[in-house]
Amino acid sequence: MERSSEHSALAALLAEARPTPHEDFIKELDERVAAGFSPRSRVGSSPLAGFAEWVRGLSPQRLLVSGAVALLVIAVITVAMTSGSSGPSDERSSGTLSLLNRIGPDDSSDSAVAPPAVSSPPVEESSAAGESASTEQGAASLPSRHRDIERSAEIGLIADPDDVADDSAAVFAAVHDARGIVLHSTTTSGKRAGADFDLLIPSARLGDALAAFSAIDEVGSRHDATEDITAPTISTSEKLRDSRARIDGLLAQLSTAETETEMSAIEAELDRERHHASRLRAQLDKLEQRTEFSRVSVSIETGISSTDSGGSWGIGDAFHDAGHILGIAAGVTLIGLAVLGPLALIALLAWLAHRTWVRAQRRRALRDA
Amino acid sequence: MSEAAIAAQEAAKEDASVDFERLYRSSRDDVYAYAAGLLRDWIAAEDVTAAAFERAYRKRSRFDPARGSARAWLFGIARHAALDELRRRGRHTDLSVDPVDATSAPGTIESRSDLRLLIEGALDELEARERELVALKFFAGLSNGEIARVVGISASNVGTRLNRTMDKLREACDGAL
Repeated sequence: MERSSEHSALAALLAEARPTPHEDFIKELDERVAAGFSPRSRVGSSPLAGFAEWVRGLSPQRLLVSGAVALLVIAVITVAMTSGSSGPSDERSSGTLSLLNRIGPDDSSDSAVAPPAVSSPPVEESSAAGESASTEQGAASLPSRHRDIERSAEIGLIADPDDVADDSAAVFAAVHDARGIVLHSTTTSGKRAGADFDLLIPSARLGDALAAFSAIDEVGSRHDATEDITAPTISTSEKLRDSRARIDGLLAQLSTAETETEMSAIEAELDRERHHASRLRAQLDKLEQRTEFSRVSVSIETGISSTDSGGSWGIGDAFHDAGHILGIAAGVTLIGLAVLGPLALIALLAWLAHRTWVRAQRRRALRDA
Repeated sequence: MSEAAIAAQEAAKEDASVDFERLYRSSRDDVYAYAAGLLRDWIAAEDVTAAAFERAYRKRSRFDPARGSARAWLFGIARHAALDELRRRGRHTDLSVDPVDATSAPGTIESRSDLRLLIEGALDELEARERELVALKFFAGLSNGEIARVVGISASNVGTRLNRTMDKLREACDGAL
């Protein structure tokens, strides 16, 4: 009882000893509160410290939303930068136009895609001068020896289903005009109409043939390739020449042979060498054929066509573009998460470690004070 | 706790976000008293009080009434600010008031002001964690439950420790009460 009353008296004394703030301090603090602790009221605070303070003031939910928004903005900016100002739809149109331009009457794409060391003859000149002109033109560009170039091309045409049969007939006609060979062809009618052709076109007439194919219908895609086969051709020619020289030598030896055994041995060697020379000749013929004829693949498809919507940009294109943009945005977001995820994890661990350390320091400060 | 403080607490429970202006008006002097009682440094107490309210203002949207009263939340922030101040000072705690020799003869106590000096001297002699409890209870006017929430121990533990601390103070003032 006595202890309780002493505690009450002590409590009263403590209440009397309660520290009170100075009036000047109260006035200053009231002003700062009224000003909402504006950044200007804080002395020596940097913009970075202000940003850190703002981040600290955010709730975890708002922090997550802010991070997601920042990521989205980065994704949109990246998409805008990668797509350019014209947008995917325009890009596709311009791509088609550029293809059409490349395969127009002044076709020079063949020489454009050839390696720098290769001097590919212009198509117009080669077709005008005949099949042998290409080798002559090649020889003109390289004084010592012409280059042996193998060419191939793929061209994709986009047609309405009703036009597939006519387009296929036009392809056959173009092949005939170019004196080419149809290796394989497939034509399908109906809802999924389409056609595929594997062709051999004389290299000297390749430019004309591709121009003719491109004129049949809308070009959806085109791919040209060249390969310089000069080295294997020269190598095989030299081997063949050596082999023939060796055959001549063996024939000379055979005429001077005196014994049966000696003659038999030379004849056996001669047979082997003739067989070898025959193989080399076939090899050389194939290489020459690869130079003289170009492999061309023509496909007619009835997929996305600008003619479906009357040649103008329609709702289908809008969906396609939207899907394209969403795909890119999703990809950029995924990459962003892949980069930011580990960084965020490290930052989280660092923050947790710092918080634990600060708490321990505070406990120690209270204990040691 | 003053009536205004109780009203502020009730209002804060009703609102999802803390009414900072009301909380400031009702708790400003209490926060200062707590900081000064713990630190025993009036200048540092002012800095801590200002820092506590600024931090509370920046974090006011994060206040969750379901996790305790606004005052308990505010004093949690003030406690961190005060402990940060203690950390900065390390062991060298400057005392603005010269410590009073609490072991001086009780017979010399002649007035109530002498008694107050004796109490303040006894407070200086207390450990910081004990002084903190006294400051929260008698200077800031927090309930045992609120103190428990601020300090991070149970309410019954708060009561036990406060009793021991009061016994220490009573012994220091033995005969004078």
